[in-house]
Amino acid sequence: MSNDIWVLAEHQEGKVKKIIFELLSAGIDFSKKTGQEVAVLLLGSGLEEATKSLTPFADKIYLMDAPSFTPYTSDAYLASIASLIKEHQPSIFLGGATSTGKDLFPRLAMHLQTGYAPDCTGLSMGEDGKLIARRPLFGGKAFAEMAFSEARPQMATVRNNAFLVNENPDRSAKVISVPPHIDPSLLKKKVTGFEKAVGAKLDITEADIVVAAGRGIKAPENFKIIEDLADALNASVGTTRATVDEGWRDLKDQIGKSGKNISAKLYMAFGISGAIHHVLGIGTCKTVVAVDTDPNALVFNYADYGIAGDLFQIVPALTEELKRVLSSE
Amino acid sequence: MEIYVLVKQVPDPEAIVKVKSDAELEIENKYFTSFFDEIAVEAGLKLKEKFGGKVTVLTVDNRRVDALRRGISMGADDAVQIADPALEGSDQFAIARTLSAYLKDKPFDLILTGRQAMDDDAGIVGPAVAECLGIPHVHSIIGLEVDDQKREAKVIREVENGRENLACPLPALFTCQKGLNTPRIPLVMNVMKAMKAQIKKVDLTSLGLGQSDVSPYIKIEKYVPPPKRPPVKMIKEDFPENVKTLVKLLREEAKVI
Ligand SMILES: Cc1cc2nc3c(=O)[nH]c(=O)nc-3n(C[C@H](O)[C@H](O)[C@H](O)COP(=O)(O)OP(=O)(O)OC[C@H]3O[C@@H](n4cnc5c(N)ncnc54)[C@H](O)[C@@H]3O)c2cc1C
Ligand SMILES: Nc1ncnc2c1ncn2[C@@H]1O[C@H](COP(=O)(O)O)[C@@H](O)[C@H]1O
Repeated sequence: MSNDIWVLAEHQEGKVKKIIFELLSAGIDFSKKTGQEVAVLLLGSGLEEATKSLTPFADKIYLMDAPSFTPYTSDAYLASIASLIKEHQPSIFLGGATSTGKDLFPRLAMHLQTGYAPDCTGLSMGEDGKLIARRPLFGGKAFAEMAFSEARPQMATVRNNAFLVNENPDRSAKVISVPPHIDPSLLKKKVTGFEKAVGAKLDITEADIVVAAGRGIKAPENFKIIEDLADALNASVGTTRATVDEGWRDLKDQIGKSGKNISAKLYMAFGISGAIHHVLGIGTCKTVVAVDTDPNALVFNYADYGIAGDLFQIVPALTEELKRVLSSE
Repeated sequence: MEIYVLVKQVPDPEAIVKVKSDAELEIENKYFTSFFDEIAVEAGLKLKEKFGGKVTVLTVDNRRVDALRRGISMGADDAVQIADPALEGSDQFAIARTLSAYLKDKPFDLILTGRQAMDDDAGIVGPAVAECLGIPHVHSIIGLEVDDQKREAKVIREVENGRENLACPLPALFTCQKGLNTPRIPLVMNVMKAMKAQIKKVDLTSLGLGQSDVSPYIKIEKYVPPPKRPPVKMIKEDFPENVKTLVKLLREEAKVI
């Protein structure tokens, strides 16, 4: 048994996602306590850039280079990862709580007959190498600390901004090429097309800063002022179900119980009343700002900073002020 | 088409949930059929309307069958409750093994579930059932078209940077996400009928399962209340000073920009 800490490195267009560096940083922290090695699993093709960026963050990189890993399907990933895990028996296997992580990990865990804690907001490690995974229940009204049965690996997917990225990781990974285990008869699903979302912004689950407007914005074209603010902050734009149901905004940008949970460092809500269904999606954001004309709006109960005021006055002024301040650095 | 929809009755998002102790939550008695599960039922009914066949709703629950009645009132043909004292304290993997044991010799073309249950927000049961049954799955679909002749489904999956189209042979399992459809509101008459509908009840022994087959892989060690946000700081100055103050606070106090 190798007892290592493994992380599945998700990447897009050659760039490894931020959550992966967070997980590796946490892994390095754990390894200082337990002496475990930290390994990355990297699947895809044309992986030079990804390999390079990961090298300081791990002791080993298991590299599986095959065209059938791009685009992701659970069919291709599952057999290859499962056989590698069975061979090396890591103690822990982590991934991002992304569309890939959420598609793959539960199935892989069932396949390996081991435990998996989904969509976690924190991980800690006992002296005995036992992982404790913290995750929200009921949309964040309560949290649970999850423990695993004796089976290994202990698996978890983790939301963005759960850990700080280590500025000086100081490792130098050995790259180990592994032949992929691809049985064509198991490749049942086929990706037949991809429609890229308009705009180059990060998904709201991945962005450090999210600015959002709700029905208070009054018309879809008024989102222009929110987009401008987002540009000034390099932020992504979120919204409420109300505007999605009106057809003003895309479903993928909906925050809340029937939309997405975000874990941004800064979330700003404009003209959003703060219905429980909405605020359940922002429970793990670090700092929350709310602007609403109604001083009694519920949203202020969930905010760190509030302004009772008109978003049409405040948003453009805020954009200008931010541009002024941020450009003078 | 033979379609099975996995449904769960869960606390409404508006229900008050409090951490009572390390080992116990206090949950207000306000339940509904998990939002995404209704979307799954609707997707099943639409396919039945197009191709004929049958929609069966299935739940593992020792106490509540309301999700099954909701399914029937929407138009499901059949309802099955799996209940057993041995399931107390089980995890999502045990639920998935139980559901698979029931489904494995049924003539299903399609199994539909919610993206995640609105209580545990796990998203485990769907993909885990597909693994147990050895059928393909796609998680979080927002589009579904079936070609009955070719025995193939075309689905759209939401990913971070766009939408992915997939072709998937049947039988398959899909977990359903908002955007796939708008669930119908059942007629009052059908709600009344569903109250009286016959619900089949199945236990673990009849599925050939024992206590060890439903032992959990994960367990809750401890409940923790959510981190408390300090009370809101309302910025009371007039415009435009309030904007300047906000930026200052975000930079100097919160240090997030
Ligand atoms: C099962 C279920 C699931 C749901 N899931 C979600 C979900 O995932 N996400 C979600 O968001 N909602 C969800 N909802 C809906 C939710 O209950 C609310 O209806 C919704 O969040 C309200 O959106 P809103 O804040 O944009 O609109 P409103 O509640 O109408 O609020 C608009 C706000 O704008 C303010 N305003 C108006 N003009 C101005 C101005 N000029 N400047 C500043 N402020 C102004 C008003 O004072 C008000 O507070 C769900 C509901 C149900 C039943
Ligand atoms: N006890 C259950 N009985 C029937 N279906 C369930 C049960 N638990 C979960 N499911 C199904 O699996 C989906 C995902 O649940 P979960 O893995 O708990 O988030 C739900 O939306 C339901 O469709």
